Amino acid sequence: MSLASSIRTIAVWEMNRSMTTMGRSVLPLAAGLLILLVLVTAFTAESGVHMQDGMYRIGIDDPEIARIVAPDNRFTAYLDSGAALWENRFAYDIVILNGEVYAADTEKGRAALKTLERDYEGYVSYVAAKEPDLFAAYPLWIDLQYVKSEIDFLATQSGQQVGAPADTRRPPVPSGPVEAVTPPASAMPISEEILREHLADTGGSHPLERYTGVISGGSGMEQFKTPSELSAPLPFDAIILVFVFIFPLYFTSQFFMMSVMNERVGRAGEALLSTPACPAAIVVGKALPYFTIMLLISAAITLFAGAPLTILLPLVPVILFFLANALIIGMASRSFKELSFVSIFFSTLATSYLFFPTVFANTHVISIISPLTLVVLDIQGDGFTAMEYVYSTTLFFATSIILFYVGITNFREERLFSEKPLTSRLVDFVSAGISREHPHISLFLLAGFTIPFVFMAQMLTLVLFFNIPMPLSLVLLTVSAAFIEEFAKSIGLYAAARERPGFLTPKNLLLGAVAIGFGFLAGEKLLLFATLAQITESIFGSVLFLSLQVLWMPLLLHIAGVLVTGGFLLLWGRQGYGPGLIAACMVHSLYNLYFLMGAFP
Amino acid sequence: MNTRNAGLIAKKELLGLSSEKTIVFAILLQVFIAMFSSFLMVGLTAMYDPEAIEGYSTVAYGVGYAGADSPLIDEFAKRDDLILHRMDLDQALAALRERAVSAVVYVPDTPPDAEGPVIVTLYLIQNDLQSSVINVRIKEVLQGYEKELREVRADRMTTFPVSLNFPESGGGENFFEFVYGLLIPLLVLLPAIVSAALIIDLITEEYQRRTLETLMSTPVTFAEMIWGKVAACEVLVPVQAGAWLLLLGLNGIAVDNAAAILLHASVGGLFLILLGALVALHYRERTSAQFIFSTALVVVFLLVMAVPYNPLNLIVRLAADTAGPVHWLILALVAGATALLGWAVTAYARRVGEGVPA
Repeated sequence: MSLASSIRTIAVWEMNRSMTTMGRSVLPLAAGLLILLVLVTAFTAESGVHMQDGMYRIGIDDPEIARIVAPDNRFTAYLDSGAALWENRFAYDIVILNGEVYAADTEKGRAALKTLERDYEGYVSYVAAKEPDLFAAYPLWIDLQYVKSEIDFLATQSGQQVGAPADTRRPPVPSGPVEAVTPPASAMPISEEILREHLADTGGSHPLERYTGVISGGSGMEQFKTPSELSAPLPFDAIILVFVFIFPLYFTSQFFMMSVMNERVGRAGEALLSTPACPAAIVVGKALPYFTIMLLISAAITLFAGAPLTILLPLVPVILFFLANALIIGMASRSFKELSFVSIFFSTLATSYLFFPTVFANTHVISIISPLTLVVLDIQGDGFTAMEYVYSTTLFFATSIILFYVGITNFREERLFSEKPLTSRLVDFVSAGISREHPHISLFLLAGFTIPFVFMAQMLTLVLFFNIPMPLSLVLLTVSAAFIEEFAKSIGLYAAARERPGFLTPKNLLLGAVAIGFGFLAGEKLLLFATLAQITESIFGSVLFLSLQVLWMPLLLHIAGVLVTGGFLLLWGRQGYGPGLIAACMVHSLYNLYFLMGAFP
Repeated sequence: MNTRNAGLIAKKELLGLSSEKTIVFAILLQVFIAMFSSFLMVGLTAMYDPEAIEGYSTVAYGVGYAGADSPLIDEFAKRDDLILHRMDLDQALAALRERAVSAVVYVPDTPPDAEGPVIVTLYLIQNDLQSSVINVRIKEVLQGYEKELREVRADRMTTFPVSLNFPESGGGENFFEFVYGLLIPLLVLLPAIVSAALIIDLITEEYQRRTLETLMSTPVTFAEMIWGKVAACEVLVPVQAGAWLLLLGLNGIAVDNAAAILLHASVGGLFLILLGALVALHYRERTSAQFIFSTALVVVFLLVMAVPYNPLNLIVRLAADTAGPVHWLILALVAGATALLGWAVTAYARRVGEGVPA
């Protein structure tokens, strides 16, 4: 049987099986729930969300004013005479007497005041929009224009703030080329009726409403606003994309995870393993239907949102990444509850990796490490270049392929059906990649293969520490980067020592350390030149990838790090691993700090 | 039903959770999120209300001004956190692109009492945190200018809104509303959802791993086993929710009526756990059960949100200390519904138990 045909057989079989186990009993109820969902959504839209009802108490002496706050459920209004209100003024967050607003001097009082001010603005707009002379009520209109400015990754170096605070009284002179601009026209190009309609729509809106229109995009009318409509641009609108695109993908990957887990429960997968299909065909065949479904879901969402279909390109590596992780988690978990918790934990990490960088979309090149940024850019209509695609997706492709490889080599009876805790199972997975005849070549390759994961973890720390003030962020980055690297280098040695206690002799340790050091350096070099050139040029880059300037120094460092951890392992056995890792991490950090000091005296 | 047997099962499940270190993952998650709490707080508050960002910035920003003279210049002069530079438009825009200024305004030579509107063009940097700060500040300046223009054109107006006189509020902060009105109820709800997913894992695992027969050969009845598992999951709800409230307290966010909030969370959590148990008993297979349960959860959640005085709203009111004694009534109602569901689960478990060979 050829590989392609066995993949097809397995894929068809997987589809049929999940349809029969899920099908008969689940589909009717799922359809019923879906109908219920539509009904409930309609009901909720009708009745409104009653989450923040009655947060604030407000005392009012005038029924006319009470009508202003009546539509806002957040207020519970009490109508009373002025004297009685004043008497009990401490029971209220806000008291309005004769048109004077008094707010309690607490967090809550100020929050209530803010909300009331917004409601009042909405009310004023509502009244003014009915004026026959619109431009007397609204004499000032703002034409909002956005200008693009992408800062260099180098901008945050040496404590310089992003966005220049004006410290001189003289107007700044641009250093770059100045393009001639025609001043905007002073006449209003939009008819009064449309402006009126627009005004009637807005006013007194709830903060969360702004998020409903992110995907669909605004009309041309959005350009002109009255001053009170001028709301700050959404700084984090990408979170919507996380919900819309990433969450369904994660949800679907759960089915794959469960399918893998089900093969292991009660040795159900034995039949599958005894077929002539090789493990690679089984894994790929099982994953294929889910991959297709996820792609179709993304395409459907894209079409529904009216976004360009090219945004599927950056989503493909994300889908692969989710599937690869689902495979490993499904193969490694001991029980269902472990599966649940580990997958929730993984999804939090993956979501932060995908989401945080997109905050800096249009602002900073760091944003490009997340494929989701490409989606943001594409939806904005900017598109992305092939180079940017390579930058942001290489790590995802590389890690997914390696994880799939690990899954396939371990998709064997003795690995699948053993009952071991999560960590020792993961160690088993790693040790499966170390050959008995040529352990040092394996260690060399293993070290090279950990590089994409190391980069990914380091990128995550970079994203998280990037906003912390300068000296602290560098120290945190240095230490965490050192720890991640030392950890990655040590796992091969640790797995080998655990699998074969006799392996760890001084001679083998030395040879292994040299092999790992070379492998690590080779992997680093290879991936770095392929991808992250922009980031490596900055100071953050020199912290993370310091070891690249001269060849023999980092090589010695990498070997020394492994020797320290391995030495602890050799002397004190497995208890020595933790302290050894800390010691190696300290050596590595000190080396990095020494060179940083040297580079920036 | 023997409560001692149920207690034994509960203890077994809790021990299993701690030995598998799944609890460790849950705690890691909580700590991971709390570690970035300052980033998340600023970030999430800003997501809820972008104007809140202004409160975090104390820097003065440069603004380029191009076009005709106008009273707008005096409005800018009133503020010390914006510095106005008179420039040519093309120079100003080039400076903006290099971030030498943070915004550019262009004012046409329309007279204040003209028939048509005054259209001011505002240039900002696209999709940028700093632009959000600038936007809030310039909005206040422009509102001042609008007020002035309205006074000039007042004789052309016909009706006037009821006037309210606001005190100086000193900067926009909607931190309170976000934390108390959204974050706290969601954080308190989270453990309830996690526990409900957990009960499905615990029950379906017994079926799929075929460990049920072994368990049924002991004196424990089927219903006792189910209630033992429910108890193990229920214990986690107030513990985790309490941990969140404690973490919030450490971050300086005091929550009123913590005990009452935990009570609401526990009762609501028990309702969800029983719902999960019912679904798991019906399907006896994790994938289907989790799928149906998560869909049902969305339906229940949406429905609950649409009802005034729902438990989530009560948690908000309790946290903000505006709940009246009415919350006890709602608590009793939810407890009643939970008891009804509990009865249904027991009856169903008894029926299932009879079919299982002892």
